[in-house]
Amino acid sequence: MFGLIGHSSSFEEARRKAGALGYEEFAAGDLDVWCSAPPQLLETVSVTSLTGKTIEGVYIDSCFVPEMLSRFKTATRKVQNAMELAQKSGIAITALGGFTSIIFENFDLSKFQQIRSTTLEWERFTTGNTHTAWVICRQVETNAPLLGIDLSSAKVAVVGATGDIGSGVCRWLSQRTGVGELLLVARQRQRLLDLQSELGCGRILPLEDALAEANVVVWVASLPQTLTIDRERLQKPCLMIDGGYPKNLDAKAAGDGVHVLKGGVVEFFTDIDWQMMEVAEMANPKRQMFACFAEAMLLEFEGWHTNFSWGRNNITVESMERIGSASLRHGFQPLGLEPAVPQPLAAAVA
Amino acid sequence: MPALDTPAMSLDIQTSSLGAGEVAGADLAGLPDFTTDLYKDAYSRINAIVIEGEQEAHDNYMSLGTLLPDEAEELARLARMELKHMKGFQACARNLSVTADMPFAKTFFLPLHGNFQAALAEGKVVTCLLIQALLIEAFAISAYHIYIPVADPFARKITEGVVRDEYTHLNYGQEWLKANLEASRAELEQANRDNLPLVRRMLEQVAGDAAVIGMEKESLIEDFLIAYQEALTEIGFSTREIARMAAAALIG
Repeated sequence: MFGLIGHSSSFEEARRKAGALGYEEFAAGDLDVWCSAPPQLLETVSVTSLTGKTIEGVYIDSCFVPEMLSRFKTATRKVQNAMELAQKSGIAITALGGFTSIIFENFDLSKFQQIRSTTLEWERFTTGNTHTAWVICRQVETNAPLLGIDLSSAKVAVVGATGDIGSGVCRWLSQRTGVGELLLVARQRQRLLDLQSELGCGRILPLEDALAEANVVVWVASLPQTLTIDRERLQKPCLMIDGGYPKNLDAKAAGDGVHVLKGGVVEFFTDIDWQMMEVAEMANPKRQMFACFAEAMLLEFEGWHTNFSWGRNNITVESMERIGSASLRHGFQPLGLEPAVPQPLAAAVA
Repeated sequence: MPALDTPAMSLDIQTSSLGAGEVAGADLAGLPDFTTDLYKDAYSRINAIVIEGEQEAHDNYMSLGTLLPDEAEELARLARMELKHMKGFQACARNLSVTADMPFAKTFFLPLHGNFQAALAEGKVVTCLLIQALLIEAFAISAYHIYIPVADPFARKITEGVVRDEYTHLNYGQEWLKANLEASRAELEQANRDNLPLVRRMLEQVAGDAAVIGMEKESLIEDFLIAYQEALTEIGFSTREIARMAAAALIG
């Protein structure tokens, strides 16, 4: 049995979804109500792989919403309680989706293994970051050429390069893809220097300078609400992979030769009879999902009941390759760019 | 973002000056100051509620034995455990030189006590079990879990022992209701509607005192609902039925 711990993208969205799923009482509740609401095991689902193997899984909504980020004790409790529910439900491997793994990492929750009478077993959980990193890299490799970008000479900026996913992406792009130049962007200089030294390549740049030079930008950091992107200074064409959470790059950057692709999202080969991805606001919720969720499914399909992705900076090219092969074997594909609307037609529609 | 130092990290926590009894000499870093008048005043009510709750539980299990004569022996055993707990918590008050405010506690339990007595008089075993074995036990379990990290060392040891027992009591109620679910469903739902809002009001009534002790209302409600939902799941309710029932504590 696999598990997915997720949450809604905003409080309003959470209330709307709660109403749609038949939880009218939650839909009517204010934020204080949600702060005290326990995690909910919303759905059980059966998924059959391309290989024919069928697995069972559950979706747990932690009842966290991003508006709780400023209440760190509340946020912490939501994550810990959802993890406890997953373990008590006997789930072998559960992915920490959305802010769940970010909160776990930033608040260093690995220090708190005892939740009431339950000792959390870390091997039952995965951040799903290895699969996310692999998917993002494949999205770069597949979609950049479609825009006429030659990766062997292209400059690829990784924003959030020193994070868990970011460092994995940098390793793959430098060792496997062989991009023209890697531009490394992150807040902490020492970590950037350490990464640069590990990679043996890459140029450290401030965000604005990197954006001005990059043909491809991989975003694996959360974007501050206040961040503005000057489209005029961007390269054209430019591929932007929005691998952060929440995914809000589209409104800030897309248009006029700048193509934004939802990063770290996969599409399954067939419909899955679930409602859970509607909560995650996927364009095609029967097939699309976050790659981190898909990692829990892959681990269940393969019988790898282990915390495949855990801690920080542990993602290797080999582990990405391993999960990537499993991903393809079981019928997942990284999300690609929508077919472009031809310019004359777009003008006619306008 | 800030790092989390301890799960008990709370309102006015500070390194305490040493208190009386077994408090002295213990490592109290990060715990409330158990010797202040503010703490003792709040503790006089919280401790009284716990003592009264254990007494209430004892009496309720004995009463349930009259409705379920075949189970009377087991229920009397549970009742005896509650009295033992009560004595433990009385010792906790003495250790901090606090006098429990029993009149406050009696008034505090009055509405729930009244509902239990009314159900008992009508022979409504399902309602009685819901009030005692589910609501009061889940309430106790959650409060004890949240209290343990902020308790003084003496009370901590006592409470850790108690919480293990309370799980067996919750288990007793849920097993009985599980075995009789279909016949009990309608009465359970009605009893839930009638009594869960009382639990919420009780929590709100002591939220200020609980905060002084280092226990937050938000986590008390969430932990209570987790324990209650677990019991309802075990009894056989679906997740949506449970969410609907539990919402009475959040919104009612």
